[in-house]
Order: sequence, then C-alpha cells, then structure tokens
Amino acid sequence: MDHFDEFSRPLEYLSPLDKHLRTVLRKYIEQEVMPLRRRYDEDWKEHALIEPAFDRIMGGLGLQKALFPQEYGGWGLAGSDYIFRFAYQLCEELGRADTGMAVALAVTFWPLLVIHLEPYVNERLIAEFAPMFCGTNKAVFAANAMTEPQGGSDIENMGLLKGRTIHTTARLEGDQWVINGHKLWPTNSGGAASLFGVPCTTRPGSADTDDFAFIYVPADAKGVTQGGPYEKAGMAADKNGDIWFDDVRVPVWYRAHGPGRDAEAFYQLISFGQVASTAFLTGAMMNVYERLYEFVSTRTYRNRPLKENDAVAGVIGRIAGDIDICRILGHEAAMMGDRRNTPYGLPLVSEELVGKIRNIKDFVSDRAVENLGKAMDVLGCYGPDRDWDIEKHWRDIKIIQLWMGGKQLCQMESARYFFNCETL
Amino acid sequence: MNRSLDYLFGTAVGDRGEDAQGVISLVRQWAEKEVIGNRLDYQRNYAVLFEEKARVLALSMGLQRLALPEGQGGFGWHDPGHVADVAAVLSEVGRADSSTGVLLAMNYALFSILTRFSEGRAGLVEAMTASYLDDELKIPSCALPGPGSMGRETPLYKGRSIPALVESRDSGPTLSGANIRPLAAGLRADLFLAVCAEEKGRPCIALVPGDNPGIERGSEVLTTGLNALANADISFVETEITQESLIKKPEAVPMLFTLLNLFLGGVSLGAGMNFFEILGGWSDSRVIGGSTPLKENPLCASVLADVAEDIACSRLLLEDLARLVSPSGRAWSLDTEGQYTYAVMIGARIQKGIMRAINRGMELMGSAGYAKEWHAEKHWRDVKTIQSLLCGVGAEAPVKMDTARFFYDCREI
Repeated sequence: MDHFDEFSRPLEYLSPLDKHLRTVLRKYIEQEVMPLRRRYDEDWKEHALIEPAFDRIMGGLGLQKALFPQEYGGWGLAGSDYIFRFAYQLCEELGRADTGMAVALAVTFWPLLVIHLEPYVNERLIAEFAPMFCGTNKAVFAANAMTEPQGGSDIENMGLLKGRTIHTTARLEGDQWVINGHKLWPTNSGGAASLFGVPCTTRPGSADTDDFAFIYVPADAKGVTQGGPYEKAGMAADKNGDIWFDDVRVPVWYRAHGPGRDAEAFYQLISFGQVASTAFLTGAMMNVYERLYEFVSTRTYRNRPLKENDAVAGVIGRIAGDIDICRILGHEAAMMGDRRNTPYGLPLVSEELVGKIRNIKDFVSDRAVENLGKAMDVLGCYGPDRDWDIEKHWRDIKIIQLWMGGKQLCQMESARYFFNCETL
Repeated sequence: MNRSLDYLFGTAVGDRGEDAQGVISLVRQWAEKEVIGNRLDYQRNYAVLFEEKARVLALSMGLQRLALPEGQGGFGWHDPGHVADVAAVLSEVGRADSSTGVLLAMNYALFSILTRFSEGRAGLVEAMTASYLDDELKIPSCALPGPGSMGRETPLYKGRSIPALVESRDSGPTLSGANIRPLAAGLRADLFLAVCAEEKGRPCIALVPGDNPGIERGSEVLTTGLNALANADISFVETEITQESLIKKPEAVPMLFTLLNLFLGGVSLGAGMNFFEILGGWSDSRVIGGSTPLKENPLCASVLADVAEDIACSRLLLEDLARLVSPSGRAWSLDTEGQYTYAVMIGARIQKGIMRAINRGMELMGSAGYAKEWHAEKHWRDVKTIQSLLCGVGAEAPVKMDTARFFYDCREI
C-alpha cells in the first residue's frame, strides 16, 4: 500500500465535496495542527495554541458556516443529501490530526442540526443564529448541553426513557421560557461555546415526549454560569465543564419545534453523533497506521525491520486489517444517515437505524481501543512517548468509547432492535 | 464497599512473616493517609507532591533501605526469600502511585542483582549501600534491550537489540551507545542499571553512576504515564566504569527481567486494586434508568464481574510468580531460563489483565473515568506505560518468542 488514503471505502458513497475538501482541509491541518499537536495537552485550559488553529479552520476556511443555507452566508449543506458523508470526511480528516478538534467542530453542528434537517426545519431560528456563525472569521462554537449529574447517559437513552430522568426544567412565563438546571460535560462548554442547545423537561418525571423541550440559550444570557474546563486524560482541544442555568430567560420561539417534534428532532442527533464518532476513530486509526508504518520500517527486531518479523507482522497486519474494515463500516453508517429521505432509507428516528449505527460505533470503538493499545506495545519503550503520536491518539480516543451513553447503551440499543427487547 | 481488599482478593497472608505484615500495614497507611486521601491536591501539584510523598515513604519510613544488606544498615529484603514480600509492598505503593512504585521496584531490582552477584565486588556493595543510607531520595534507572534501528546492527538479547557495548581497555571497561531509552527516570537518575553487550556479544549489566562524565542526557521525553519519573534518552560516550561495576554472569540479565516483571507486576496490580475501589464507589452511587444503581443492572454487573475477575486472577498469578522465583520455588525444578520464561509470560499476562480491567471499568464510569478528578485515568495511563515498557518491542512478539523457545525448543526465532 502506498498511502493511508488507500484504506477501503465505498467510492460510490463519496460526497461531491470529498476530493476538493479533503485536499484543502488536509493542507490546512498539516500546516496548522499537526506541527503543534504535541503541545496541545499543556494548552488544555488556555487554548493559546489551539484557538488560532480553530480560527483558521472554522472561521477562516468557513467550516462553521457549512450547515446554514446560502442565503444566510452558509454553504447550504444541511439541505443536501450528503450531510452525513460530508461530516464523515470532515471528522475523519480532522480526527487524523486531533480528535479533540474534530469533536469541537462536529459538536458545533450538533445542536444546529436540530433546526436544519428536514423535516425539522425552523427558518426563524436559522435566521436568528446564522449571523453568529456566518458573519465572522473567528471560530464560533455551539454546544449540546445534555448530560446531567445523575445518570448522564439516560438523557441519550430517549428510546426507552423518553426524557423521564431530565432534571433541567423549562417553564413558560408569558412569551419567555425560564430554564433552571445543571448540566455537565458538554463538548465546547468550559467557556468555549457561544450558543447552547439545552434538552429540558416541561413536566419533571414525565415520560411523555410532548414534555421534552429543546431550547436554545445564548451563552451570555443572564443566569448562565459556566465553570472552567475539566482536566482530562486527553482531548485537550475539547473543553468540557459545568453549566448552571438559573432562571435563564429566552424568547418562547427559541424552542426548536414544540411538543413531540422536539424529541424527534433531538433523537436524530444521536445517529449523527455516532457517525461523527466513528469518523474521529477511523481518522485517528489512519494516523496511527502512518506513524506505526514509520516505526516498524525503521526499527528492528533481530536486526531486521520489525515489519519483516512474522510474529510482529501478525500484530500489525491485524491492526491495518481492522482499520480497513472499520473505515468501510464508518462510510456505511454515514450513508445510512444520508439515505434517510429516500424510499429505501430509514428515518433517523427509527429504532433500526439508531440500533445499527450505534452498533457500528460500538464495534469501531472497541477495535480502535484495542488496536491503538497494541500499536503502543509494538513501539515498546517508545510506546508511551508523545513524539510518536500514537499514545496521544490512544488517550484521546478512549473517551469516544465512553461518551454518548457509552458502550453499554450502544449494546442495549443494538439488542433492542435486533432482539425486539422491550424493557432495556 | 464494606469488605477489605484482602478479603475480596484472597492472599496468602499466612505465608507472610510478621515483619513483612508490619511493613505492608505501614505502607498501606501511608498510601491512604498521604496519597489516596489527598488525591485532588496530588493531581494539581503532582511533580512537587510526588517528591514529597516519595521521600516520606523512602526515607522517613525507610523503604529505600528495605533491600539493603541487613548487616550494613538495611532490612535485607534483597534476599530471594523476600521477593513475595517486596511484590506485596509494591502493590500497596502502586495502589497509591505507580511512579513511586516503579522507582522502588528499580531500587529493589538493583540491590537484588548487586547482592546476588556480590562476589568480587564487596567494596561496591558497601559503597552503594552507604549511599542509599543517606537522607537523599535515590533514583535508579534501568535500560533494557529493546527495538534496534535500521542500519545499526547490534548484539541481541533473545532477539531484542542491546544498544550499549562494553569494551575492555587498559583503563578498564568502557561503555558506548547512543540514544538509549531507559524504562523511566532517565532525566534525573543517579545510577543506571544498563544491559550492555561485551565484545563477544554476550549480555551483561553495567552499573553506571549518574554523575559519570561520560553520560549525556537528552531533553525530557513527554510520556503517557509515570509522569513523575521524568525520562530522557541517554548516551554513553566512552564512559569508563570500574571492573566491579560490570556484572558478566550469564544469569544476571534474565534475573533482571524476572525481577522487573515480578515487581512491576506488583505495582500495576496495586493500581488495578485502587481502580477497583474507585469503580466500586462509582457503581454504588450512580444510577441507570433513573433509579437503578449501576451495580444492580445486569449488563453493568457483568462488566464489574469482568473487572474483578481480571484483578483477582492477576493477583493469584503474581503470588504464583513470586513463589516460583523465591528459594522455595526450586521445588518447581526451573532453572534461570525457566524462571525467566515464566516471569515474562506471567508478567505480560498480569499487565494485560490489569489493563483490561481498567479499560472495561472505565466504560461504566463514562466521562468521569476520563477526568483527572476521579483518578481512574491516571491508573489507566500509568499501567499502560508499564505494559508498553515491559513488552520491549513488537508488542508481545518477544515474549511469545521467549515462551515458544522454552516450551518447544525453537532455535531460529
């Protein structure tokens, strides 16, 4: 194999933007991110190095505008039939350099998708928020403030719990929503985001999806308090922290769609998040392959290149083979999302699609965690060395396995679909 | 969790002497009072606090003297009869902090080797013992054979490259070798225990004082874990050492591997046990589905069971390995080579088991498993670092070759 690009993917699935965007983005990333990424860990709080890179990629290159319609200065991709595949290529390219940056960008799309994806389009809110993202060359972030202190993953378990465990409340007073609650861990919190999408309940304890509300809250709204970013094992470019909403008031029309439809539009996010997560993983795995290739070609066992030893070849062959398979699966997951409006596709809110995409993400996560650990071991005493980049990816990608309800929720969603389980 | 770790993970306490039990209890108190109870402070100011806590343990509590010869002011735990005790103590230390555990493990390996091959080097043993009695934290560092580089053919130790060569000159043995990566602590080590090859390519061990002018140190290498033991590549540039600092006995290098696998297995086991405690607290207090405690959910319970099983089996394996290496282990009829093979084989299994336990347990903790605040991630990074260091090169390939060579008499691998 001559190049990591040769890892398999169904070529007929590629978006029309694939070649052009990959070329431009890769150049940016290799100039702006890769040379500095070994210093990102120490930059977790200040983002002195990370922020300028975000400015160039999100603001300068304009990726943060991608969803918005062209009439608002965006690229209009949310209305295309390849938004999932576009997101996949974007997240994979960025993930190759730094999965923390990739998630920060993808999560900016996340709450915005709730008002952009047919049949859940809210033109008034799109017009409201477009200037924030399209009218600047600086990076602007959004966040999905979902997780709560107790039983965080329950909120993402909409299929079963239907918002019953949400503690953050939205109360209607005149023409305003009044929001109270405590969220933690959202990507792009910790002071980064300008806009939050906040899942709330209008009737605490209710399992009626009519009582689930998805409401937008500007980060500078009165009553919003953010804690500083958490210090983590990796993913320094992704800031996470606590957010408190204390009698926060927003206009009534900041609710995404209204009773019932909010829950459906929100549920669509789950699959988008899982597809993006899979792309982060395959991007990271491909970069691990690049670095591993260099190591096993230049370092020796029994005075011969490592890769020419049959036993070592058995290990690295499996790693590359898994990357190949995972990339095919990732593209398949993205295509499932993009088929949503076709006669042979499935709606994003269908249990089948959610279960199958979660299954792919779970499978790819497991392969990534195992293979990156193995790759570190191949390097032996150099495995923990930051200069080889593999350990960074190993640390960074572990959280991808843990987030969005983690592995166990993926397993349950899969079982729910494949075995028609009713109580999981 | 209202039952002790000793109860949950059965141990051969009955085989342990009173002295050993006393030391273990003291170390456990140190771990709980000095480190585990102050995790957040430790996290925020790790480098400074590591030094402070390690000094308390090594100097005030005397663990630095544990493996020194008894008649010279030490406690005599360099004796092979104490390997199980040393491994148990290192588990207690690892429960608090793996870096401290690795530091002491290298210390104990050094004195075990030095005293085992003390014939003809009484002066060296005495001088080194005296220096370890000082009120100063000693930092030894081991450099083992590992990956070689293309275009630089080296002598081999069981397939692994030996990057340092020792030459006999009129002035005495002289070491040379560039950009050697020690296991840990290369930046500040005051003594290097380096595997090198003599002229005929035979592996031996050189003890090189850190202040030897022939040592060049590179800049600090940033690493996944064991962050308190700042590492750096070292080069031996015409480094002169004394004759008695060179241990040529063929069993010395396998013994060093054997001891490191045992002792570092102890450190990782300790980290795994503390992770078990962290996870236990988490699964008691967090709910799933709105009200069910995590541990009462069957899927989560099965993950918890996997974690416990891996840790329990690792502990049993560690105790078996300790018995096999101790004098009573002679009943197993294993020679040095057999002990070496079992040590690398079981050592790899222990590291793999603990790593798997932490990886799986983190799944239940979600993002909290990843946050420094909960400390689970530190154990995860530290144990992974130890695992990669012990693998040597090529993942488990060398260990598998060692195993196949022993059990199937392979000659070419």
